[in-house]
Amino acid sequence: VFTLLPLFDAFCLLSLVGAGLAIVMGSRAQGFFQALTAFAGSLLVAIAILGSVYPLFWHVVPPIGFATFPIHLRTDSLSSMFVLLLGVITLTISLFSGGYLKHLEGRINFSQYWVSLFLFLLSMTLVLVSADAITFMVFWEVMSLSSAALVACEHRQHRVQRAAVIYLVATRIATGFLAAGFLWMHSKTGSWLFADWNFGITSTWLPALLLLLAFAIKAGIWPFHIWLPYAHPAAPAPVSALMSGVMIKVALYGLLRLLVGGGLQCPPLAYLALFLGTVSSFWGVLFALVQHDLKKLLAYSSVENAGLIMMAIGLTLHAKALGLGEVAAVAIAASLFHIINHGLFKSLLFLGAGAVDAQAHSRDLIHLGGLSKRMPWTTMCFLLGSASICALPPLNGFASKWQMYQAFLLATFESNSMVDRAIAFAAIGVLAMVGGLAIAGFTKAFGVAFLGRPRSRSAEHASEVPISMVAAQAIPAVACIALGMAAPISLPVMNYAIAFVGLTLLIHAVVLAGSRVRHYSTWECGYGQIPARAQVSAESFTQPIARIFSPVLRYKLDVTIRGKDRRHFPEYVSIEPRMVSLLESRVYRPALYLIGAAGKAIAKLQAGSIHLYLLYVCITLIVVLVVGTKL
Amino acid sequence: MIGSHQEILCGMAFVASVLVMPILTIGVIRKTKARLQNRIGAPILQPLFDLMRLFTKTETLSSTASWMFRSAAAVNVAVMLILSATVPWLTYKPEVPGADLFLVIYFFALARMFTVLAALDTGSAFGAFAASREVTLALLVEPATVVSLSALAALSQSSDLNLIFASSNRMLEHNPVVWLLVGTSLLLASLIELSRMPVDDPTTHLELTMVHEAMLLEASGRNLALAEYAQGLRTSILFGLAAQCWLRALPGFWDMSQIVRAVCSVAGIVAIAICVGVFESVAVKLQWRKVPEFIAYALTMSFLAALIALSGGLLR
Repeated sequence: VFTLLPLFDAFCLLSLVGAGLAIVMGSRAQGFFQALTAFAGSLLVAIAILGSVYPLFWHVVPPIGFATFPIHLRTDSLSSMFVLLLGVITLTISLFSGGYLKHLEGRINFSQYWVSLFLFLLSMTLVLVSADAITFMVFWEVMSLSSAALVACEHRQHRVQRAAVIYLVATRIATGFLAAGFLWMHSKTGSWLFADWNFGITSTWLPALLLLLAFAIKAGIWPFHIWLPYAHPAAPAPVSALMSGVMIKVALYGLLRLLVGGGLQCPPLAYLALFLGTVSSFWGVLFALVQHDLKKLLAYSSVENAGLIMMAIGLTLHAKALGLGEVAAVAIAASLFHIINHGLFKSLLFLGAGAVDAQAHSRDLIHLGGLSKRMPWTTMCFLLGSASICALPPLNGFASKWQMYQAFLLATFESNSMVDRAIAFAAIGVLAMVGGLAIAGFTKAFGVAFLGRPRSRSAEHASEVPISMVAAQAIPAVACIALGMAAPISLPVMNYAIAFVGLTLLIHAVVLAGSRVRHYSTWECGYGQIPARAQVSAESFTQPIARIFSPVLRYKLDVTIRGKDRRHFPEYVSIEPRMVSLLESRVYRPALYLIGAAGKAIAKLQAGSIHLYLLYVCITLIVVLVVGTKL
Repeated sequence: MIGSHQEILCGMAFVASVLVMPILTIGVIRKTKARLQNRIGAPILQPLFDLMRLFTKTETLSSTASWMFRSAAAVNVAVMLILSATVPWLTYKPEVPGADLFLVIYFFALARMFTVLAALDTGSAFGAFAASREVTLALLVEPATVVSLSALAALSQSSDLNLIFASSNRMLEHNPVVWLLVGTSLLLASLIELSRMPVDDPTTHLELTMVHEAMLLEASGRNLALAEYAQGLRTSILFGLAAQCWLRALPGFWDMSQIVRAVCSVAGIVAIAICVGVFESVAVKLQWRKVPEFIAYALTMSFLAALIALSGGLLR
């Protein structure tokens, strides 16, 4: 109790001082700011540990003005869990930044980077520990704006500008919903304190819906996910790791804290959460599968995982509303565990993508390949991350996915209504299919980027990243293994892991090690060494799946064959897959167009003619007079 | 601690089965097909002779391949051995704690991931396209397998396979329809999963169309021997699981003695192998685009099983 507050103050001060110093010397002393980030990360870990052991509620009265709005803060086991995740990932990225930022020199403004990063860390922490709506809202805004500034680091590029604008618009809409929800709840209860908000009564359903939508936008849930695949490829790797690993979890934290913690008893909203979660898990993984930009693929995979967590939260809400205690307990455990696990393996994968980008100068799978021999450690870590995200035993992704399956399986025989049971069965089927798609997507990402032969000169000349960047990837990788083995689930995963590793090594030693080996080129039908371009490309690897799901993906193959006898002796063959995002082309673009058209129509009112304006004044006067006399 | 004589006997029989059944299953399928084609065919133990021959051969290794390529075969055998101890494919299998339904599914996926990555590792387009087809089939089959097994799990209110396939199960005894549906769904799914007819013909030796065999195109010598053995064991386990479901649909099964059940479970695998051999002789390979339609049968069976699980729970 005595040490938490000073630590917390130290963290806030450190972040503010860091942000302040970065304005002055951000572009020079990189090492200093990395050390500062590492220090901030360790403070966060300490705060999290102390906060979970000694839950604390305190308030701070700001020194100047605003004395009527004291800042209420609180640490408990729920917020500490998220702070711990933030701390660990901050430590990881502080290690990673050293080598990584070098390749961005001249491309990004380091002052902007460090200022925004410190504000981002500070605001995320304060959102997590805030206990009243005003504090939450203020730091939520700081979090949104600082992360937008981080996305816009490389702002001289057109695609980055576009990404930043799309992201900013998404955050504005989220903030709008959040503010409306908060104001509504305040008018209902007359208090800004979260502790006073009770969602257990029917009249709070609408504000709860607004909050659900706000958090869904920020968490990248379908159909509000479209900012993610723009923002992540634009942002530097450490920022992506923080945003995907922690920031979208902060939005899910809001859901857990307010709706689940507030005792929401609303079956329709629970169904909505379950539906949105299910669709976004499927949608996210399907779009992840067909991407060939490594970071875009990971961004879509974040949509999938946020969806999985949302499914578990939806089931929790539903089970709580129906009084199914056991289902609710397993479901909420699954959602919390998956939040931690996804935070770890997704930041690991983003750092891996950053390492590849820094060394091979491309994130596009078309230009990669053969990195396993050139970057062995990064390969190992990326493989572990991919296996984790595919929920393969004995890693941590499996543990939380297993809990999710268990929760839905419990719901298939615990719930009383036939419809709920059928929904639970359907959810199990969707989980299985999403698992299959994830394996397809990540075998593609890993196999094409790291295995085979290099598809470009820069991939051929790639070399392993410096030791600090390897260590930064190794930390979450080891955490994935450790959490998988020591998972709090009722399976002897550890025994299986030992059996698996032991048997594999034994077979390797007994059978394969003693074999006589002759090295030769890969079978090429006797044509001699074929070019690396003849290997499978990322697009052709997923073509069969893309074709099956072509109605959703709007996938088309444009085939052009020209030549005199084009059947047997074509002179020109070109095949190009084409894909448009269904939501963007069919929903968002028409909506934007409508808004634009409406704006243009309204703009005609302001024609710049004084006569017209006098007419408006006259009409207004008459209307007011008529209305006034009528009343 | 030494158990009773019966347990020791069971254990020995189980170890023998793990070694013999893969060879027997593949051998029986090949023999059936040969007989139906009016050939005498190779002896049933020919897969064993093949393995022995491969074992002594020099291995040709692609110079593009990394450590991933050779580890895949070892991982496959290791996973299949673990699965042989956890999946209830024989009635006399010793009980292993924590034989969970979802763990089993994802162990299969682990083996598959390594096979696919090994195929991509050599940079061969043949292997890579086979890998692409493999992941496509896997993701289509996965829901059928998981939903049909979940139906059983929902009825017995646990995802522990030891409990679901226990020798007496209050919830599932005398419920032949659900066993029949699940068994059929699993068998159809395993035909696809094992890339056998009608999805893929493992004997065509046309790399352009094959699934599993083309992924092994670069493997040779002991590496190939391990991969072949793992595939044989996978075949036996999946056929065995389907056979166990069908056996439980037989009215007399629940009153049989242990010995009869044991004999039946081996006979079941052999019978399925013969049926598969006959089917592969008379059926034609489906066009790749028609495969999802075939998978729909497996999916429908699993949905029907799930429906029974829903209503069966209500009758409780």
